Amino acid sequence: MDNPKHFYLEIITPTKQFYTGPAQALILPAVDGQMGVYANHEPVVTAIEPGQLYYQVDEDWQHVVVGAGFAEIKPDYAILLVSTAERPEEIDFNRAQEAKQRAEERLRQKQSIHEYYHSKAALARAMARLKTRK
Amino acid sequence: MASMKEIRNHMKSVEQTLKITNAMYLISSANLRKARQQLNDVEPYFEKIESTISDILYHSPEIEHVFFDKRPEVPVEKRTTGFIVVTGDKGLAGAYNHNVIKLAEQKMKQCSNVKLFVVGQSGRTYFQEHGMEIDTEFLYTAQNPTVTRSRDIGELMLDRFLEGSLDEVYLIFTKMIDSFHMETLCHKLLPLDPKVFKKYREDTHYRQRVSYVPSTKAVMNRLVPGYVKGDIFGALVESYCSEQNSRMTAMKSSSDNARDMLQSLRLSYNRARQAAITQEITEVVGGAQAAQ
Repeated sequence: MDNPKHFYLEIITPTKQFYTGPAQALILPAVDGQMGVYANHEPVVTAIEPGQLYYQVDEDWQHVVVGAGFAEIKPDYAILLVSTAERPEEIDFNRAQEAKQRAEERLRQKQSIHEYYHSKAALARAMARLKTRK
Repeated sequence: MASMKEIRNHMKSVEQTLKITNAMYLISSANLRKARQQLNDVEPYFEKIESTISDILYHSPEIEHVFFDKRPEVPVEKRTTGFIVVTGDKGLAGAYNHNVIKLAEQKMKQCSNVKLFVVGQSGRTYFQEHGMEIDTEFLYTAQNPTVTRSRDIGELMLDRFLEGSLDEVYLIFTKMIDSFHMETLCHKLLPLDPKVFKKYREDTHYRQRVSYVPSTKAVMNRLVPGYVKGDIFGALVESYCSEQNSRMTAMKSSSDNARDMLQSLRLSYNRARQAAITQEITEVVGGAQAAQ
């Protein structure tokens, strides 16, 4: 990476290496809002919420929907380990809609605390997917 | 020399066994291909999660968090150690299950109180037969590992750890190094111990502290369950792949043995047949001569 404005970005999920390569900027959904990252960022470790993530490669902004996970950010690289990562065109609107309804329905039932968190997470994932497909 | 009938019966039974071992060989090689694909996909994640955690721990040596609490106040004889033992669902996989069980027993001897969580039917039967108490509600199969399953296992372990019914959790699984080498490993899952992670990166220019956004506690609350889940998933995938691989090799060698056996049996069958014919001819000739 010769360009000092670039850093090395890795987005990895359990099923595939979603993206590995240089990037100029990154916006990720952190716990308390969006977080922007440029090269030479201070070393940070943060948790990622299900939501939308953007990264800039060659002036182009790439759009990704990610699941929960965490990120390790260093001045010259950023590693994101997330449960899922999808491009907007891979998302099926109807499926996401159904998933949202299912999650909402489940949330209305009496559940154990784990089931509650699972439904909540499913709902957050579905919402993130729907947001990008609008 | 055995009679022709005996040899023929023996050959038939060997042939039938050969059919079974050959079928199992084909099935396990098909499964192995699928499992290896999954392993290839999950391996970068698995390695990255380990190296990232090790890096984080390396840069923040004095984390105080409940998942890092080694509980030194609990005396040795009162400590409860949980073991997640990943075995196969079926036997006939060479030394695969045996190796896992042997390592588990060896590790269990060193602990005063043990809780066993067994994945896979064959390990469960073994421990039950040997009168060892296992968690009966912990019913997970070793086949086709999924992220959901590892999430459930991980949540159970974290719950038990947090409520204090487990002080340490170990994961015993088989790692596939290449198609001929598999290694049974015992991996410490909880509490997180910076010492068990090997150092992946020796970068000297980032000596500065890592900061946690929004707070160490919030990040660790997210990161540790994610790590545990990822680790368990990786272990399940590795084990499943190793199981298929060792079954494939075991079935291949038994099919080869059966073929060798059939060949030698065919030889002795032909010999017996020849001997019978010769004897008959001698008898006929002898009878004819006597009649003259």
